[in-house]
Amino acid sequence: MEIQARGYEHALSLRELLSGITPDKLSAALVVLLNGSFRLLSANGEWAMGAVLPFAAGGQRAACNYDLETVAYLEAPSATESQLRAAAGLLELFMQSAARYFMASEMHIEVVKSDYEELQRKHTLLLESESRYKVLVENLEEHVKEQVKTIASAQQQLYQAEKMAAVGQLAAGMAHEINNPIGFIRSNLNTALSYVQKFPPIAELIKAQGSDQITAAWQAADLDFVLQDFVPMLQESISGADRVARIVADLKGFSNVDQAEEQIVNLNDNIRAACNVAANQINSRAELKLTLDELPPLRCNPGHLNQVFLNLLLNAVQSMQIRGEIHIHSSVEDQHICIRISDTGSGIPATVLPRIFEPFFTTHDVGAGTGLGLTVSRNIIVAHGGRIAVASELGVGTTFTIYLPLV
Amino acid sequence: MADLDEKKRTLTVKLVYYGPAMSGKTTNLMRLHDILAADLKGEIMTLETQNDRTLFFDLLPVGFYMPSGWLVKFKLYTVPGQVVHDATRKAVLSRADGVVFVADSQRSQGVNNSESFQNLEDNAHRVGLDFDVLPLVVQFNKRDLPNILFEAEVQDRWSAAPWPIVMASALLGTGVQETFVQLLAAVYPVLDKNFSLHETHGTDLPTFVSAVVGGSFGNSG
Repeated sequence: MEIQARGYEHALSLRELLSGITPDKLSAALVVLLNGSFRLLSANGEWAMGAVLPFAAGGQRAACNYDLETVAYLEAPSATESQLRAAAGLLELFMQSAARYFMASEMHIEVVKSDYEELQRKHTLLLESESRYKVLVENLEEHVKEQVKTIASAQQQLYQAEKMAAVGQLAAGMAHEINNPIGFIRSNLNTALSYVQKFPPIAELIKAQGSDQITAAWQAADLDFVLQDFVPMLQESISGADRVARIVADLKGFSNVDQAEEQIVNLNDNIRAACNVAANQINSRAELKLTLDELPPLRCNPGHLNQVFLNLLLNAVQSMQIRGEIHIHSSVEDQHICIRISDTGSGIPATVLPRIFEPFFTTHDVGAGTGLGLTVSRNIIVAHGGRIAVASELGVGTTFTIYLPLV
Repeated sequence: MADLDEKKRTLTVKLVYYGPAMSGKTTNLMRLHDILAADLKGEIMTLETQNDRTLFFDLLPVGFYMPSGWLVKFKLYTVPGQVVHDATRKAVLSRADGVVFVADSQRSQGVNNSESFQNLEDNAHRVGLDFDVLPLVVQFNKRDLPNILFEAEVQDRWSAAPWPIVMASALLGTGVQETFVQLLAAVYPVLDKNFSLHETHGTDLPTFVSAVVGGSFGNSG
């Protein structure tokens, strides 16, 4: 709709003021009213209606006014003055009526236009707000997915943290309970060793000077062998007790009960601790080979990283169908500490490989694994600003590589 | 802004009667048509609906010739008061040289008055009129009715306002001319400044007023 409004205030021409009336009929009526022919001229003398040729000079004329000004003259030689005056008044009424129509229609156009523009404006605003809501709705889905992810991840962490806390408390309690008896067992074994070492000189004395009866009894009891075997036996027991003490200490350190915060550590120590904790499982299924390069100290949460190493080690052990080899190699590459844990296990199928870091994804039988180990491991590495990569080939083995930035 | 036509030697001045519905704007115009004794006075054009409510506007043209021979044409408009006709009100108010705000004195009409006045201020801004300098007269109409605000109350409420307050009863004809004269007095300085009515056209304020209203100067209707 494109109507050019001129505005209700614009000046109206004589033509416009007479436009509502059929000229022939008006002329015919005026001829009767004015006793003969007539002329209607505009204010500046142009012909508007009636006889075309001018009348002889001296004819009477009447002014037709509109809007305070004379807009036309009416000439009629045969009419009386009052007839002329009345006809001019009639024309003024027509013009007033036409003006009323023009002004009303112009105003109507203006109002419709402004209402239409207002509607357009509101429509635009509505469209804008609608599109904003659309975006919001789309984002909302994303937000919800994001939130669900966050919550799921937080749940895993919590689950794992609680599990670790329970293990840690158990380990701490065990360590405390075991440390005391292992302490006196070790001490007693040392004392026993020193006692046993007093016997050989006396044995020589008994064998050289003792009666036949004593010698026979000595030999019957095979005390030579006993004395010979006693020392290494005690020494083995001492080293066994040492190992128990070390495992307990590792377990305690590993479970991280008393070191929740960040520390500066040499990660090789943590790798060794994890290996010690998992030693039993490893030794039954695989040979462990450590190639630990010199590492710079790293500020990290050692308890969490211990957990990662243990997870990966136990996964490696579980992947062994036949006895194989696990190789841990630590090094510094390109401003990162790089820890590579390779096994000669069964490998991960290519279809499964992309999903192994997903929460609750597990190929183990129900009860054998939570499906959280790798997810939590990855989260821990990511929390340290690092990344974890995996490469695997069926029947050949799997290699997990951890990169931790040094800065 | 008044419209100057050099060719026709005409100065057209637009004056608008604004206010809430049924406050008596059209009645003001009809009384003025009866009262005014200007050189030139046209017929009132009314555009109303069947029930006498103004649909678009009413228009009363009056005018006089200045000593310079120039014609001053006043076009007196009313706006439709009903809330729905806001677009029309805006169109009528556009380019106004002066405004009479016709308030309804009845106690029950306080809210309508203030809403309409706020609407006047808003629309003035929308059509580009500077409300702070716009010549404005406030008329409290319908003084003939019972249950109206006392004059003292009105004066008290509007004491901080810069505009002249006039009490009127358009129905009886009182205060209508006074309102109009106040408006002419408010409009004259602006016109004089822009078109030098006094110096160039030989028209000072008393001449200006009496030429339109009648009285000591110009008369024939």
